[in-house]
Amino acid sequence: MDKQLIRLRINGEVHEIALSPNRLLLDALREDLGFTGSKRGCDDSSCGCCAVLVDGTPMLSCVALAASYENCKITTVEGLGGPGNLDSVQEGFAEMGGAQCGYCTPGFMIATKALLDRNPNPTLDEIREALSGNLCRCTGYMQIYESVKYALERHGSISSSVRETPSTQAPAVR
Amino acid sequence: MSLPQFRILQPLTLDEACRMLDEHGSESMIIAGGTDVIPNLQMRLFAPRVLIDIKPLRELAKIELSRDGLRIGAAATLTHALETPWLGEKFPVLSSAISTIAGPLQRNMGTIGGNLCLETRCRWYNQSKFWRQSLGGCLKKDGDICHVAPGGKFCWAAWSGDSAPAFLALGAEVEIASAAGTRRIPLEKFYKNDGKDRIALARNEILTAVHVTASMSGRRGVYHKLRVRDSIDYPLAGVAVAMDVDSTGVCRDARVALSAVNPAPMLVRAAAESLIGKKWSRELAEEIAHVAIRTGKPLTTSGSTPVYRRDMVRVFTRRALEEVWNSAQQSS
Repeated sequence: MDKQLIRLRINGEVHEIALSPNRLLLDALREDLGFTGSKRGCDDSSCGCCAVLVDGTPMLSCVALAASYENCKITTVEGLGGPGNLDSVQEGFAEMGGAQCGYCTPGFMIATKALLDRNPNPTLDEIREALSGNLCRCTGYMQIYESVKYALERHGSISSSVRETPSTQAPAVR
Repeated sequence: MSLPQFRILQPLTLDEACRMLDEHGSESMIIAGGTDVIPNLQMRLFAPRVLIDIKPLRELAKIELSRDGLRIGAAATLTHALETPWLGEKFPVLSSAISTIAGPLQRNMGTIGGNLCLETRCRWYNQSKFWRQSLGGCLKKDGDICHVAPGGKFCWAAWSGDSAPAFLALGAEVEIASAAGTRRIPLEKFYKNDGKDRIALARNEILTAVHVTASMSGRRGVYHKLRVRDSIDYPLAGVAVAMDVDSTGVCRDARVALSAVNPAPMLVRAAAESLIGKKWSRELAEEIAHVAIRTGKPLTTSGSTPVYRRDMVRVFTRRALEEVWNSAQQSS
């Protein structure tokens, strides 16, 4: 099938790329655009490793056709923050041992970010529910919940700078 | 896994979507959330040349309550339904069931219509093409024998949606559109109880909404689901109960529906007759639970055993009835 020119808005920047209609958003991100933070885990929408924010809502890029996500604001884990400029969520996972092999971590961070943006003061049950679409096979979940709590404590103090990133846009698709 | 080649069409209106369906017929498929369609395409279970993407159709994404009752657009996401506060208050069996579907990320993408049109599932079917080919296929796809019931000519792939039994318990109707117009049929008639040909939807038709009549508002209800893990999992058995209980604790009307133990979600017909006019008793709940078992005919379509799934239908039916009656007592 012929490729089409597609505009994807990723981490605040517009990328114009030629893609086949059957190109998955995950492959467009990883292979065409180099955002390798999003991971391919199960490849059938049952692990959460590929999660990205779409207009602030966490979604699975492994079952999303790139062409259907034109004009959406997409935020990958790279868009949360980078070296020297970590988001409180990323700091939390680093400080509290929330990652072991690290493969599921970007997906957990994306789901955590979406949770804290919508609910700055979640209970443990709410955290567990919000992260129940992500699977971790090595660390175990307690360290991850501790990481979220750490981020929670930091969230308020740095939220003014975080608010400027595209990832904190209010969800448009509800 | 790679995806087959296809074109994506993005209609701007429902009418346009219907015209596209008419034009492309059996070569086309509707895609909305993609959580069921994309993995199935990767496994080469279907080979459409055209995907019609209805996700952006706002007219299909509304959840509304009017004097006639509830109308949920087919493209409304499962999360949208869960986050509509009055939905859970007026139709608790719906929020109870929808909250068990997959996990929160899948529910952000998956739609009500997609869940009602879910492909049936079987351990011999939901596999890669390579895996299936090594066995020569099955009745449902690329073969002529059933590995579940060898010798049979009937496909037992199981209905694996969670919202359908809840909607059945509320006597829902579905709205179906095509270029020729729209029609409404009871949800019960939408399901054909054939694993191979699961729903009464012609190739040029699209499910546009599900309706629940206003008289069902306030009906107590709950859904119980058997699954291997508590998140991101299909049901191995599911029981939905919706009941109208009066202030003296007498059941005025009730419906019990099952999921994942037949090729269709199914009402337990005899349950209603036995429940109406009765007050709670453990014996009555046991009796209904045994009636429910007779409606479920699970076979070895999943990793769990039919014996266990049947027995959990019994247990869940009893528990659901007890919960519903208890909640009525507490509020009266």
